[in-house]
Amino acid sequence: MENTLIEVQNLKKYFETPGGSCKAVNGVDLKIKQGETFGLVGESGCGKSTLVRTILKLIEPTSGKIYLNGEDITGYEKEQLRELRKRMSLVFQDPHSSLNPRMTVFDILSRPFKIHKLTNSNEETMIEIVKLLKLMGMQPEHMIRFPHELSGGQKQRIGVARALAVKPEIIFLDEPTSALDVSVQTKILKLLEKTKKLRDLTYFYISHDINLIRVVSDRIGVMYLGKIVEIGKADSIYDNPKHPYTKGLFASVPEPDPDKKIEGEPLTGEVPSPVNPPKGCNFSPRCPYADDKCREVEPELQYLSDGRRVACHKDNLEQYNLL
Amino acid sequence: MSELLDINDLKVYFNTEEGVVKALAGVNFTVEEGTFHGLIGETGCGKSVTGLSILKLLDNNALIEGGEIIYKDDDLLYKTEKEMQRDYRGNEIAMIFQDPGSSLNPVFTIQDQVEESVKMYKKASTQKYREIVIEELKKVKLPDVEGLLKKYPHQLSGGMKQRVMIAMMLACNPNLLIADEPTTALDVSIQAQFLQVLKNLKDRFNMTVLYITHDLAVVSEICDYVSVMYAGRIVENVPVRELFKNPVHPYSYKLVHSVLGVETNLDDLEEIPGSVPRLINPPKGCRFHPRCEEAIEICKKEVPPLKKIGEKHFVACHRR
Repeated sequence: MENTLIEVQNLKKYFETPGGSCKAVNGVDLKIKQGETFGLVGESGCGKSTLVRTILKLIEPTSGKIYLNGEDITGYEKEQLRELRKRMSLVFQDPHSSLNPRMTVFDILSRPFKIHKLTNSNEETMIEIVKLLKLMGMQPEHMIRFPHELSGGQKQRIGVARALAVKPEIIFLDEPTSALDVSVQTKILKLLEKTKKLRDLTYFYISHDINLIRVVSDRIGVMYLGKIVEIGKADSIYDNPKHPYTKGLFASVPEPDPDKKIEGEPLTGEVPSPVNPPKGCNFSPRCPYADDKCREVEPELQYLSDGRRVACHKDNLEQYNLL
Repeated sequence: MSELLDINDLKVYFNTEEGVVKALAGVNFTVEEGTFHGLIGETGCGKSVTGLSILKLLDNNALIEGGEIIYKDDDLLYKTEKEMQRDYRGNEIAMIFQDPGSSLNPVFTIQDQVEESVKMYKKASTQKYREIVIEELKKVKLPDVEGLLKKYPHQLSGGMKQRVMIAMMLACNPNLLIADEPTTALDVSIQAQFLQVLKNLKDRFNMTVLYITHDLAVVSEICDYVSVMYAGRIVENVPVRELFKNPVHPYSYKLVHSVLGVETNLDDLEEIPGSVPRLINPPKGCRFHPRCEEAIEICKKEVPPLKKIGEKHFVACHRR
């Protein structure tokens, strides 16, 4: 049995707004195992980026607990946080804006070494940076370049190299390829996969691209309005999604095959505001199967026979597959 | 089916501080009436410039070097600005853009904005205008249309804004719609709803659409015919089924095989070595040759012409 690397218990993050508190993350329970790739999918505004930033302690949780390797990191401050930054790192969505335009690649990549005092001299830092660039399939001469001299794919490789510099245990990847062209996307994904094996890493992907999450992940979670509605093995969820939201979401994805068309109207309506989420099940106003119970009582995540968990009152969901 | 739009050897250059950017270096394709024509390619390949050229909405530093844009037997390149505005923009050819948030004016209500485009082409009483606006908004399946009229763009979601854009466009009753990445800013579920609206319009009004996108999955969902663009040139004009079954140009092949589908694995995916060339100093000959595994001497010297290789299937490659 693999070890649990990250455990999140009933995590909540509310933002105060003039209209009331915005429940961006509203009670999430999650376990990430050592060495796995976990993928979190959801549409924009569902709280996936906020969840990741809260786990990383870049923003303070409103309530709930976060454990890293069994250690409670929820209340960590200052010096402890600095230590934490070495263990968990993040790759950002937009490589064009996440690299400082006035710093060379060398400057950018030497920062983690300096901040965490990982090397003793400039020469040592240089050697480490050359190693990182090589790992990313880039040349040592790229060190003296500025970000605007690099292509989108190269910039994102620098972003990944920066995340790897501290030798973290887990890397969070926030839409790492959504700003890139498809042909470049493949290269980055393959590189990430190779690096994971080499460095024995754990990955936490977040994306709205459902096919991307399926291709890279061992386990996936589907998030809707601040909550996880379905979580389990990637293959079983893709082959047979159970939650009505998961079903609708997967049905909305166009296939690169002209003979397969989106059938009917996959998901109707729009995501409600997280300031004022619907009563009962969050998804009930858009759910074709919702009844009075769904509109009153909030469903809990429950285990199904194949080990996945689904938050839906319709416990005998199989009967709806026919619909 | 008759030809509605025929673009021949269109060349558009831009004067920049760094030099002349040859954004379009010979674009050829034909859009037939009543079809959805996809124009696909990666960032910077010139697909948006092509769309803007048709309506002559290019920036001042753009230079149309040559070619023809034949729309209903008239070459649009010979039309004056006044003629374009009076006879073509809106009522003949309309365009919707990528970001619906910035295409609507934030200080006017939805009614004001849709009404404005109605007023340009129809004369009626104030009450009648309101009815036409409601009718147009209903065509794109917007919910609670009456309540929507008094709202401002920021009160609407991205998907709704994009549908308002379509309603404005429909109010002018154009023959050709140019849609430039209309769903890139939208979520998949909203994208699916949007594509549904477009498909309905096609069935009901026999609309012709030039759909500009980088998303092959969307192309396979709604387009009949596809032009694949690379670095300012068309490399393949192909019916959509052929493109996915049998992509002929090496670039089209790589592109089709780099898209994630429901059954693809990471190992099946193709990657294209190198990156898109800068168009200030593009490669000579075939612009794809530095990244092409099959390139030979002639590819480095001569531009391959578009050759007919099948029913409505054209490819520009020396090796095919």
